[in-house]
Amino acid sequence: MAAAEPSTPSRKVVVHLRATGDAPILKQAKFKISGTDKFAKVIEFLRRQLHRDTLFVYINSAFSPNPDELITDLYKNFGFDGKLVVNYACSMAWG
Amino acid sequence: MGLCSSWDGTISYSEFFDAARALSEKWKLSNSACPPWTWICCKKSFWVSSHEEQGYLSLENFYCCSISKEGPYHDQSQSFGEEPVDDAALDDPCAPEVHQYDFHIVYSASYRVPVLYFRGYHCDGQPLTVDDIEKGLPANALKTLKESKWTFMTREEHPYLNRPWYTLHACGTSEWMKLMFSDSSSTQHGAVVEQYLVSWLSVVGQVVGLQVPLEMLKSSNLKPPFSSD
Repeated sequence: MAAAEPSTPSRKVVVHLRATGDAPILKQAKFKISGTDKFAKVIEFLRRQLHRDTLFVYINSAFSPNPDELITDLYKNFGFDGKLVVNYACSMAWG
Repeated sequence: MGLCSSWDGTISYSEFFDAARALSEKWKLSNSACPPWTWICCKKSFWVSSHEEQGYLSLENFYCCSISKEGPYHDQSQSFGEEPVDDAALDDPCAPEVHQYDFHIVYSASYRVPVLYFRGYHCDGQPLTVDDIEKGLPANALKTLKESKWTFMTREEHPYLNRPWYTLHACGTSEWMKLMFSDSSSTQHGAVVEQYLVSWLSVVGQVVGLQVPLEMLKSSNLKPPFSSD
């Protein structure tokens, strides 16, 4: 029964990637990802696409999700208009 | 209009004080299983005007499981061993060691941002060495450490305790804080201050395995940056 509910965790979520700062815009800025995937998967995807190791990825002005967070939880709390907007920038310096 | 575009991502000491109170209250509400962030009063420094209360935020006796394959992201509310990380357990013949951490958030007058100071212990009370800490770092943080050795995490004198504590470098903080709030639709600087330390901790906490619960981030006054596109 639970599987029939619209908020079932395995439901696909549309992730919208928005470039900020000096980051290049991706050709494919929207993609679907399973709700049971971790946020780490989005970070990995961006790393591969941008060929950058250091990325700064954040949501909803303003926080940076832990890579272990589930997409479904992020969507439930911060999803908007049927999608989860994820901002990314290429620079992330500590010192 | 949105947040003042000239804002450079820094906060004043009195804003830090307000942000500290906000963080501490939110943390207590949504993370009651974890030790609280407490404000520690200190004697006055020359850079703060005399009427302001001075001090730093402190969270002590935080237990962190040192398994670093994916990272030590462990919910404090779960007891260790109840839900072992199977992959890591298979990879690592040693049992995960529980480390104890003390975290302090201190205001840096030179960078005008919060700075994290921390120290850790083994369960027998022996202080953690850099190597021990490295072992417990999430994979990403470890990579950053290797690449930027002395501009990421070093051991420095704690500004109030005058003892060596580990610290994360603050030179870049205002840049990424500015970025995070750059498309904020909030018109009130007060709302940004309220959210500032929570947002900051969402980044810094990832380095040391301190997770900020989503509810804390959700309770923000900030609205989504746009409604449709």
